[in-house]
Amino acid sequence: MSDQSQSSPVLDCRGVSVAYDGTPVVDRVDLGIGAGETLALLGPSGSGKTTMLYAIAGFLPLSAGELWLAGRRVATRDGGEPPERRPVAMVFQHYGLWPHLDALETVAYPLRRAQISGNEARRQARGYLEQMHVDHLANRRPAELSGGEQQRVGLARALARRPAVYLLDEPTAHLDTALKAELQDELARRRSVERAAAIIATHDVDEALALADRVALLRAGRIVQSGTPTEVYERPVDEWAARLTGPASFIERDGRRLMVRPDWVMPGGDLHVTVEAVRYRGSHTDYTLAAGNDRLLARWPGPPRHEVGARISVGLTSTYRLPPSDDR
Amino acid sequence: MSNRPALGGLALAVGLLVLVPLAALVGTALDIGAADLAAGLGSTGGPVLNTVVTGVAGTLVAVVAGSAFAVLTERVDFAGRRLLRVMMLVGLIVPGYVSGIAWLNAYGPAGISDRALGVQLPGLQGPLGISLVLGAEAAPLVFLLVAAGLATRAEPDLERAARASGASAWTAFRTISLPLLAPVIGGATAIAFVLSVTAFGAPAVLGIPAGFGTMTTRIYRDLSFAADPLAFGRAITLAVLLAVAASVVAALAGWLLAPARARRSGVPGGPSAVAVPRMGSGRLATAVVAALAWALVLLAVIVPLVALVLTALTRAVGLPPTPDNWTLANFNTVLDTHAWAAFGNSLVLGALAAGGAVLLAVLGLVAVRGRARGVAAALVGLSFAIPGSTLAAAVLIAYGPLLRDTLVIILVAYLAKFWVLAFRPLSAALEALAADFGRAARASGADALTAARTIILPLLWPSLAASAVLVFMFALHELTMSSLLYGPTSATLAVVVLNLQQLGDPTQTAALAVLVTLLVALVSLPLAGRLGAFASARWRG
Repeated sequence: MSDQSQSSPVLDCRGVSVAYDGTPVVDRVDLGIGAGETLALLGPSGSGKTTMLYAIAGFLPLSAGELWLAGRRVATRDGGEPPERRPVAMVFQHYGLWPHLDALETVAYPLRRAQISGNEARRQARGYLEQMHVDHLANRRPAELSGGEQQRVGLARALARRPAVYLLDEPTAHLDTALKAELQDELARRRSVERAAAIIATHDVDEALALADRVALLRAGRIVQSGTPTEVYERPVDEWAARLTGPASFIERDGRRLMVRPDWVMPGGDLHVTVEAVRYRGSHTDYTLAAGNDRLLARWPGPPRHEVGARISVGLTSTYRLPPSDDR
Repeated sequence: MSNRPALGGLALAVGLLVLVPLAALVGTALDIGAADLAAGLGSTGGPVLNTVVTGVAGTLVAVVAGSAFAVLTERVDFAGRRLLRVMMLVGLIVPGYVSGIAWLNAYGPAGISDRALGVQLPGLQGPLGISLVLGAEAAPLVFLLVAAGLATRAEPDLERAARASGASAWTAFRTISLPLLAPVIGGATAIAFVLSVTAFGAPAVLGIPAGFGTMTTRIYRDLSFAADPLAFGRAITLAVLLAVAASVVAALAGWLLAPARARRSGVPGGPSAVAVPRMGSGRLATAVVAALAWALVLLAVIVPLVALVLTALTRAVGLPPTPDNWTLANFNTVLDTHAWAAFGNSLVLGALAAGGAVLLAVLGLVAVRGRARGVAAALVGLSFAIPGSTLAAAVLIAYGPLLRDTLVIILVAYLAKFWVLAFRPLSAALEALAADFGRAARASGADALTAARTIILPLLWPSLAASAVLVFMFALHELTMSSLLYGPTSATLAVVVLNLQQLGDPTQTAALAVLVTLLVALVSLPLAGRLGAFASARWRG
């Protein structure tokens, strides 16, 4: 949990900036992660998530700031340690599996780089493949693996590195829904076993809320908010953050702008609204409700209970007043 | 499904341009008879050996330099990286014989290095010089192939994954990128070898005056200047031998570079970043390597071209190329005395070849589809794979009695050789168009012709234009076939440059070489954008 991580962070970014051709892509980011902690870096595409991970791994130079890993300063704007000497492992968005190596040799690769002999490296690699439940695919090359299988081999390769920090770039972005859930469970299970810290870069809010101890919201290279999943869901710093962290509606009350999450709207109450749209989702149904000029989103379990055009009464279990912001 | 009249036209064109000349060549070779061929072979040992030597050495230079530049510009971050890439591609534009002449002006006797420092490149007129110029000529192609391989077969993320697994930069390159690139480098080596052994320009400019003959220059001398039947038999023997060797190696290249061999792990992704972080020692090493690369480009590309221009501008042979000796008179003289007619010939031939090749390509595309189109492409590609010396000999045998010394016989050779340059890109462009575009037009009430005119043609237009420009450029470039087929009134610019050089008139040779190069550069300008876009698209992964 976030409150256990303070004493000495495993990863510490101090005012880190990264620029391409003079344009900052990551802009003065401060981030600290403690042992065993999982941080989700949540942002839309192009917000600098991958750049941030690449800078931590050592693939990109810093244009400002300092980077500390396991108590060691590994990079400043003057340069830094090469990737192979940083205690990190990375899982790539497109898996990054080597086409000419089979799964076993792929996972043995980091072990061999750690001076473990061939046979021993292969024996250990098989263990890591077992942990990811893909040991039966040991002799297959990437072209013979499905996306989910490739991702598991990529994770096994990262495990074999035994790093202080795992860097996961969109770990489930290219998987279908069932595989996504399966892999998220796997990641959650691993998290409880591993003491290593992890950063998950993702644009998927469900993934961020489900897997992370802490969520940092990244917009145009800057961290606009950082907090526990419930904090960023229930108390976003502005409207942009509110929309990034889940469905939200905004209403005016006494000149104040309030955020309402769909699960905060309950049937029955003193608010009279008209049902404007109904979207059946299987496990639940989403409603768009009109109250004067305001629009409310509601999410209730089960099949649709109201027709479009029906007049119903609802109540709000909670509202959240957005802090005043200058860029709205 | 095929279109009968178009199919007839296609069969006629393939027959006249490809099959008749090749049949004539083979028939002649058989006519000469085994005994005479053996005699011919016996006397060709020298040129064959010379060709192998300069071919292997040129290939070595091209593969080492081209691959090193590709790794450098794709993987290392240094100032002037883009400009270096552009300079590599300049080598694609400058014709081989111009490079040879330019090197002579830079490093030969009385060249600028001789004047400025008293240093000459020993052996420039001979195997060493030929190998270096052949290497410089083939290096850009190796560079493009390896750079593309680095972007699509050994994507940066694969190397990053190795680094994040604990591998040093060198280990990552050795264990990951190099094995993945091996087929590309092998294919590029084969292509560089084919280019080097079939090249005519550099061996002609640097070898003939020194009495160093390769297969292509010996074919040229035997067919153009010798009168005895033994020389003719020897030329045919060499032409067939060259074609067989080039085809075998080209087939090997095709197999190694086949798209199916690009084993990809996934879609390339991530920022188009450089895999090597800038570090204290790394920075110094990077600076040293970049300086070396620039020095090489300076010596191999920039200095020779500057020397060529200076010679073209200098009033008379023997004067130092300083501003007070500069004049434009050489350009006037060379054009007035030799070149206006050749200028016209080159432009007419280029335009007819470009238009003709595009028309033939469209004919081929209309005539056949699917598998049959592949067969047509293979036949059309066959005459491109055959070395220019061999193809020209074949065209000469087949049509010489009828068309000797006319522009038409040169045009036939150009069309046979360059048809594929229009056919391939247009075929690819057509296949890239969604079949639904045509269907949607038909479903909107257009007949087949209207659909082609209003939908397909506008979409293909850029590819049509680009193909025409490409063929025009190759035609301006062409020396090998033109030098075997020209007559008193049908010399092209390239032929005149060669003849002036062989006569020993350095300033006029240089002036005309500059003009030809400028013309080629001008014509290739519309393509340069595409080439650059192609290169940068690869680079961005």
